[in-house]
Amino acid sequence: MKNLRIAPFFILLFTNFIYSQEYNFNISEIPSSLKKDANSVIRFENFSINIESQRKMTVTTKKAVTVFNKLGDKNKYVTVNYDSNTKIKDIKILIFDALGNEIKKVKNKEYKDVSQVDGGTLYADSRMLYYEHVPTSYPYTIFYETEIETFNTAFIPRWYPINNFFTGVQLSTFKIKHSANLTINFIESNFTNFNVLVAKEKELVTYKIENVKPIRYEPLIPSLRKMFPNVKVVSNQFFVEGILGEASNWKELGKWEYDNLYKNVSVVPTSTKEKVLKLVEGIEDPIEKAKLIYQYVQDKTRYISVQVGIGGLRPMLASDVDKLGYGDCKALTNYTKSLLDIVGVESYFTELYGGFDKMDMDFKTPSIQGNHVILNIPNEGNDIWLECTNQKVPFGYIANFTDDRDVIVVKPEGGVLKRTKKYSTKDNLQFTKGAFEINELGEIQAKVRIEASGTQYNNHLFRYDGEHQKELDLLVKKYFSNINNMNISKIEVNNNKEEARYEEDIEFSAANYGVLTNQQMLISINAFNKNTSIPKRVRDRKLPVEISRGFLDIDEVVIKLPVNFKVEYLPQDVEVKSKFGMYSVVIKKINSNTYLYKRKLQVNEGKYEKEDYELYRDFRKNIKKHDNSKIVLIK
Amino acid sequence: MKKVLLILFVVFTTSTLSSQNYKFGEVSKEELQEKVYPLDSSANAAILYKERKTSFEYVPNEGFNVITQVFLRLKIYNKEGFDWATNKISYYNSSNGREKISGLKAITYNLEKNKIVETKLNRKDVFDEELNKYWSQQKFTMPNIKEGSVIEWRYKLISPFKRIDDVQFQYGIPVKKMNASVEIPEYFIYKKQFKGYYPVFAKTETKSRSINFTEKERDVRDINSRATFSNVKIDLLSNLETYEVSNVPALIEEAYVNNIENYKTAIQYEYSELHWPRQPIKYYSHSWEDVTKTIYNNYNFGSEIYKSNHYSDDLAVILAAAKTDSEKIIGIFELVKQKVKWNKYNGITKFNGTRQAYKEAVGNVFDINLNLVSMLNKAGLKANPVILSTRAHGISFFPTIDGFNYVIAAVELPEGLVLLDATEQYSTPNILPFRTLNGEGRLIRDDGSSETVSLNPVKPAGIVTVLKVEIDEEGTIEGQNRTNYLNHQALSYREKYAAIDNDDIVVKLEEKKGGLEISDFELSGKKETYKPVMETYKFYSENSIDVVGDKIFFKPLFFEATTTSPFKLKKREYPINFGTTSSSKTLVNITIPEGYVIESVPESINVKLPNNYGSYRYHISTSGNVINVNSQFKINTINYPVVNYDEMKEFYKMIIAKNLEQVVLKKES
Repeated sequence: MKNLRIAPFFILLFTNFIYSQEYNFNISEIPSSLKKDANSVIRFENFSINIESQRKMTVTTKKAVTVFNKLGDKNKYVTVNYDSNTKIKDIKILIFDALGNEIKKVKNKEYKDVSQVDGGTLYADSRMLYYEHVPTSYPYTIFYETEIETFNTAFIPRWYPINNFFTGVQLSTFKIKHSANLTINFIESNFTNFNVLVAKEKELVTYKIENVKPIRYEPLIPSLRKMFPNVKVVSNQFFVEGILGEASNWKELGKWEYDNLYKNVSVVPTSTKEKVLKLVEGIEDPIEKAKLIYQYVQDKTRYISVQVGIGGLRPMLASDVDKLGYGDCKALTNYTKSLLDIVGVESYFTELYGGFDKMDMDFKTPSIQGNHVILNIPNEGNDIWLECTNQKVPFGYIANFTDDRDVIVVKPEGGVLKRTKKYSTKDNLQFTKGAFEINELGEIQAKVRIEASGTQYNNHLFRYDGEHQKELDLLVKKYFSNINNMNISKIEVNNNKEEARYEEDIEFSAANYGVLTNQQMLISINAFNKNTSIPKRVRDRKLPVEISRGFLDIDEVVIKLPVNFKVEYLPQDVEVKSKFGMYSVVIKKINSNTYLYKRKLQVNEGKYEKEDYELYRDFRKNIKKHDNSKIVLIK
Repeated sequence: MKKVLLILFVVFTTSTLSSQNYKFGEVSKEELQEKVYPLDSSANAAILYKERKTSFEYVPNEGFNVITQVFLRLKIYNKEGFDWATNKISYYNSSNGREKISGLKAITYNLEKNKIVETKLNRKDVFDEELNKYWSQQKFTMPNIKEGSVIEWRYKLISPFKRIDDVQFQYGIPVKKMNASVEIPEYFIYKKQFKGYYPVFAKTETKSRSINFTEKERDVRDINSRATFSNVKIDLLSNLETYEVSNVPALIEEAYVNNIENYKTAIQYEYSELHWPRQPIKYYSHSWEDVTKTIYNNYNFGSEIYKSNHYSDDLAVILAAAKTDSEKIIGIFELVKQKVKWNKYNGITKFNGTRQAYKEAVGNVFDINLNLVSMLNKAGLKANPVILSTRAHGISFFPTIDGFNYVIAAVELPEGLVLLDATEQYSTPNILPFRTLNGEGRLIRDDGSSETVSLNPVKPAGIVTVLKVEIDEEGTIEGQNRTNYLNHQALSYREKYAAIDNDDIVVKLEEKKGGLEISDFELSGKKETYKPVMETYKFYSENSIDVVGDKIFFKPLFFEATTTSPFKLKKREYPINFGTTSSSKTLVNITIPEGYVIESVPESINVKLPNNYGSYRYHISTSGNVINVNSQFKINTINYPVVNYDEMKEFYKMIIAKNLEQVVLKKES
């Protein structure tokens, strides 16, 4: 049994030197242009890194933030991460009131020392020291100074002077000092719209930004990292978890990674080897083989993360995964790769940033980066990407988490740059086919089938798969929130992995769907897929617009009306076209009281100017209006 | 010997005649082959068998340890059930000792080619994690888990404290069979608390045993005399309770439940008395009075309230300005709110203590509200602490110390009791934060006497909305809105919006009201706690009503209409808890476009819930080109019985149907 404990006794060594005299934190010193729209203002941040050698780096932060209200309270936490390779040398925190008087000096016993385990992780040996300030009044200023020393030089912290909305920045500096023996690269992003001063000397580089006004959050924007300035620093010579490394291009780094992290971890027991060979017996096509192996891994394993030491970088042995039946992304990817090796299918580790935001690996300079690993099968130029941590998705399915982004494929001979599969607007189809009938009391009897593919497959899978019937009942009622008094008689959900499609069959009835008023009845024509959400109004929009993924909805619904009513009004056919997509409705009469309602809504992926936001809202308003159309019947 | 009284519940004994073998390691093929849980096909996993035995072990020179042995056999039916393969065992450490987990053994069973394959949990895959100063966790996840796997684990938890973990019978998955026993030597008296809806029944018997006891003796007349030790064989009696349950259904969360943990069937044990041989009985808790007294004395309520030097200057300023009792109360209440901020910790013991908290301006619930009690007393008012259990902490059905986790202040005035909680900035007298609205609390006086007080809000949470709407022939609506928020509605409005710019409130409102465009927004009483919250604004909307041919259709309550029900479950298992009574009133004055006449308006209605638990009144009248609507919704109860759930559903159905009904206007020909 493991019992890794790092005693926090070193805290007692911290000195408590008082700095308060040096600074003036009176809020009257903040320019008023920085206070408008600000929940907080960074008074100054001096962030410096000293890379003394390939094996030693110190990171010092001196920062003061004035917080104006509750919404700026994110700043009340000061946290410092550490582990067996990273020591906290110093930490001090002071709190000041609005006039700049010191009101508190944080004592050593007030720090909390906790494990850095998140939701998906069973165990990790990294720890965190933190302090949470309890604001007694606003505004207040929190000032802190921290210093850490680490052996790891593969992960040099990034300078990110504006990393939040509603935050003004009075001054932020970034200083990197380094040994002359090291080759250091600086990757500067998004400097164009900001006034960043750069001073480069031998072995010392300084960045500075001043007086940045707070930026308001707005809906449908690109990710922060793509808009705001930041600097990433990479050393060609590095040291990580006890291993020395050197690389000046991706090929070299990929080779180093392969040799030090991914080699010699692929042995599996003979019994498993025989089992998978038998599984693919008689099959020639490598993709067919890969599908069987993928299914085998999905059935055998599950995602559990344990991060200890080098295990944060190097996969757990394939033989351990074979025995335990679980592992993290590296472990499960390695296991799948090991089995594919056995059956003669070529595949490679692929490093990337996983997440809904399409975040690219930084290709400019080779460095160990990313937060996720998947598997690449070259397939003669038609790359297939395998997500090995999910037991449910079809072979080669990667939407919403690893799709459409720059990645590094690690081959034994070195790293290769690639981009993952993109799901087009038309791939992301939701097809709704159904029928409903209204009786003379306004009650609806409905039967509907929804089929979702592409990114929409993922949304439906996530929402419904594996849920208890009682939960499903509520989830379906939530989905059809436009219908009251629902009485559901059937819900069947099916993860159709063959077709990469999520299928739902639903039957229900509901009283008062048709609203009776006097001699008339109003019936909402679009029962199954009402799109009524409109992005929030933004007055004086400042940021560009991005719709990160497009989609297509097609609906075909047969509508049967009560016989003893006459149709007084039927909505007209519609076609709306815009650069954001299109919307159309066609209503066809089948017989005296039966109609076919055909609806199509397409929203395109794209990047637009800030002025386009209002136009996009108009497009959605128009859709909302037509989705709310009603049939009027009269007795 | 004192007998622990048992509450007996109706018994459903099921005689299981199956040939199941419930020994560790003897998993059957049938269990591995089972595809779904027979009594609940949508269960992702099920506890096939759980055994839990708690007993006391005597260790010479150390005393009694509580030993709890757990053995679990669990079936995993599908991937959703995989989470049940991870186990976390909490254990407690303090300077007085440590709890230990020993003898952990765990195996996963799978069926491969009709053969049972075992995979053992390796010690290196078990992790210990320190959660905080007192609590640690041992964590592991089972190896080789597949759909259909059966897992087993067993371990012993050894506690030098007299801590007995809850005996839990009900989980988020069904339990096929569970046996539990708790054996307690006659010296130790525990208070038992039963909770949940699923009945369980205890069989009790008395057993005798003997232990080799090391006795320490000292001559009481001479404190300098040496203690002498001697070994004595002692016979003692133990009380053994055994439980056998089978087929316990899974417990699934529902909306508007105060706390689902209140309904999970379990028995809690609290150490209450020590009857050590030849020593006076030591009481830890007994009746509500005893419990209250124990808390009051052991947790130093009296001495914390007594401290007053730290605030006397500030208090003098307040008292100089206040004339009446209620001015004093509000002055002091606001002083405490301003001086000491809540660090989000609950508790009926001090965090910083009243004095320190006042100096550092930070404290827990105890530090803050005892300062409040202290100052009110100093000001000559009759103030006392009231201890309670928060909603998240559940309801205590039996007197136990653990049943309380929060304290507020109460002032006794001739016109009644005033309850105060200074941890929440926007709370006012008798409008307590929602977390405290959990039935009853206990008021403790400094002579140790105590009494039950109701925490239920006296005044309903209220909203009053007045709308003036003009419609034009294009179907555009324009108008003014004025909304007042009262009591708990005002509190929650401030909690949500006080920190937000008015511009951002407008954006949120526009979204909430279905895409209105709002202008001239004004808000009064946003932060002025003792004034009502009042919103006024103008609105404009193009698409919210239907113009169809020569007719116009609209819901006369417009965006204020209730169109969905919070009660969507077909059947409900647990009572509904609203936290507070409520009332919401909407008055609408509509002017129709020129050239149109009113063809029809919905009929007025008046409906009531049984026992006048709630009511809804909808009244509509017309005169010329003006329509007036008056809609009033009331919930008059805090707890609504589950037996009347269908009526509640029907109540909402009628309200929604009425709210959706349309006014029809027709063009004059």
